Amino acid sequence: MHELSVTESLVDLCRREAEKNSIRKVKRVNIALGRFTGFSRDSIRFYFEILRPNSCLEEAKLKFREIPIIIDCKKCREQSEIGEPILICPRCGNADIELRSGREFYVESIEGE
Amino acid sequence: MKKIDVLKPVLVSNKERALQNRKLFDRMNSLVINVIASPGAGKTSVICRIVEHLRPRCRILVIEGDIRGQIDSQRLKKLKVDVIQINTETACHLDAYMIAQALPRTKKKYDLVLVENVGNLVCPAEFEIGEDYKLAILSTPEGDDKPYKYPLLFHLARVVIINKVDLLSYTDFDVDRAIVQLRKQNSRVRVFVVSAKTGEGMKAAGDFISNDINARKKKVRN
Repeated sequence: MHELSVTESLVDLCRREAEKNSIRKVKRVNIALGRFTGFSRDSIRFYFEILRPNSCLEEAKLKFREIPIIIDCKKCREQSEIGEPILICPRCGNADIELRSGREFYVESIEGE
Repeated sequence: MKKIDVLKPVLVSNKERALQNRKLFDRMNSLVINVIASPGAGKTSVICRIVEHLRPRCRILVIEGDIRGQIDSQRLKKLKVDVIQINTETACHLDAYMIAQALPRTKKKYDLVLVENVGNLVCPAEFEIGEDYKLAILSTPEGDDKPYKYPLLFHLARVVIINKVDLLSYTDFDVDRAIVQLRKQNSRVRVFVVSAKTGEGMKAAGDFISNDINARKKKVRN
């Protein structure tokens, strides 16, 4: 459900950026989405279909780049990519870690004319 | 066809508004806690206990987020604290804009602002409102697997309160297992095991928040 307001924010951001850069038709929106966020790309696509008519995003496609969850272990100093958000160093089992990536949700770029 | 680098978070406007709220809270000199839990976990009961414990020493504002109704705010008003009720109508979480609109336009100062978010373990975790930290509540009837199933909230929370320990014998909830799981997702989390119904364990949780209020004031003074 919260993806509706999130997709509205996405559309607003793209519109502002398109206007600022004199893009009248956005063809593609490149989005970086971390694996450790509460956002579903399918839901975002669903709401985007509803929100894009009659705007500069009418013909736009959403392209998602998935960003893995990467942690730094403060004990063994190793950096690891983990498959699910169990935030434990897979090498030494230590839970005192720093989250390096996985929480991203941003528009990388827009393409259009 | 041209390509423009944007590199801005999608929730940039919420983030900016949360920062503005933060400045306002700083002017009010308040510690702000975003209380998040599922419906029925005992958010209002825990808040009532915290208010009872801290009211003699602190000025407290409670912001109540509910989809509809005034039930929670009426309950809190009986404790003689200032309460603002936000009805989100359909939205499953509070966002920074709702808080900005609801904040009182008085010059009143509060030591503590407790924000009770809409009952939900997913969405509220993603929307900053200008808080100092998130406090998550997990109640025993929900099951000790919730930190595993809802990792983001339990990763972000500075404090987790395990509530309804008075019901422990009626459930399969294993407190040790829950704490082990919590630590796997958040090694720095502070856990309190309480019953808001009987008051068990609530003094320790209240004292912890009281320390945070004092630490914050000290930081501001320096």
